Amino acid sequence: MVRFSRVLLKDAGLAIDKTLSEILVCPLSKQPLRFCEKTKSLVSDTIGVSFPINDGIPCLVPKDGKILEEESNASKD
Amino acid sequence: MTVLGLALPVTFTGQQLPVTSRSRHSLVVKCSSERQILFNRIAPVYDNLNDLLSLGQHRIWKNMAVSWSGAKTGDHVLDLCCGSGDLSFLLSEKVGFNGKVMGLDFSSEQLAVASSRQNLRDRSCYKCIEWIEGDALDLPFDDCKFDAITMGYGLRNVVDRDRAMREMYRVLKPGSRVSILDFNKSNQPMTRFMQEWMIDNVVVPVASFYSLAKEYEYLKYSINGYLTGQELEALALEAGFSSARHYEISGGFMGNLVAVR
Repeated sequence: MVRFSRVLLKDAGLAIDKTLSEILVCPLSKQPLRFCEKTKSLVSDTIGVSFPINDGIPCLVPKDGKILEEESNASKD
Repeated sequence: MTVLGLALPVTFTGQQLPVTSRSRHSLVVKCSSERQILFNRIAPVYDNLNDLLSLGQHRIWKNMAVSWSGAKTGDHVLDLCCGSGDLSFLLSEKVGFNGKVMGLDFSSEQLAVASSRQNLRDRSCYKCIEWIEGDALDLPFDDCKFDAITMGYGLRNVVDRDRAMREMYRVLKPGSRVSILDFNKSNQPMTRFMQEWMIDNVVVPVASFYSLAKEYEYLKYSINGYLTGQELEALALEAGFSSARHYEISGGFMGNLVAVR
């Protein structure tokens, strides 16, 4: 489990601003998002969906979310 | 979104889409994916066409929209349906490097243009802009986060205007404003006639040079399917805003809704 943090995201080379990370929530549940190091995506644990980040731009359109498979749970930090 | 946004009651092929529900204000049709494709497709020429078709006036309208939003130094603001970023850039000049601008759009191509423009322009205040691919009907923000919201040529294009207004209300801080710029659906027959004449005889022919005539032919029907100023005010009040006022600008061709949470 990894929480959104500026240090983590900069290490991941995504350069997502800290303020941005503090403001963004899951578009469907409105709950906080978690950054997944393995998939470099934003994860909503509340509904089990991940959202991609493309070229530093978070993609938080609900229909573009991917349902997390059970086996991917094992890869979460 | 900028000047030449569209709302499509039909597909590009002219086939009518099934109507899934009817709200008091408008038909709700499920074609947001096709609109997304549309705006992705016209992204490369969007800015040039806006300049050409409005003779540069769209810059004036957008400056007015930003002024009406009340955005000021240090604010955190949201630009919905930001497209290639015109309003976002203007907002960043208002809020400065200590503020924050979130530019949200559902078109990845439009956001790519916006991001490129941000990188090309050498102004420190532009660094405060963050681009987000998202849906105006399901905003990825918590409640009461923003000091101001702008929306340029976007409300006419969303598939559920009630829902969009309620989302804007939700993420606004109490006492803050939303400023929504779009074409004006005028009650004056002469204004409506001139708008349609301009679209038929100027907009569509010019768009045809860019092979986008089909897309812009729908602009007339899109405006007809939009809400009048009074209806927009009612929409905002129903969404919970404490006050709402619609201002007609540019001879009644354009309008700007200002609502206070």
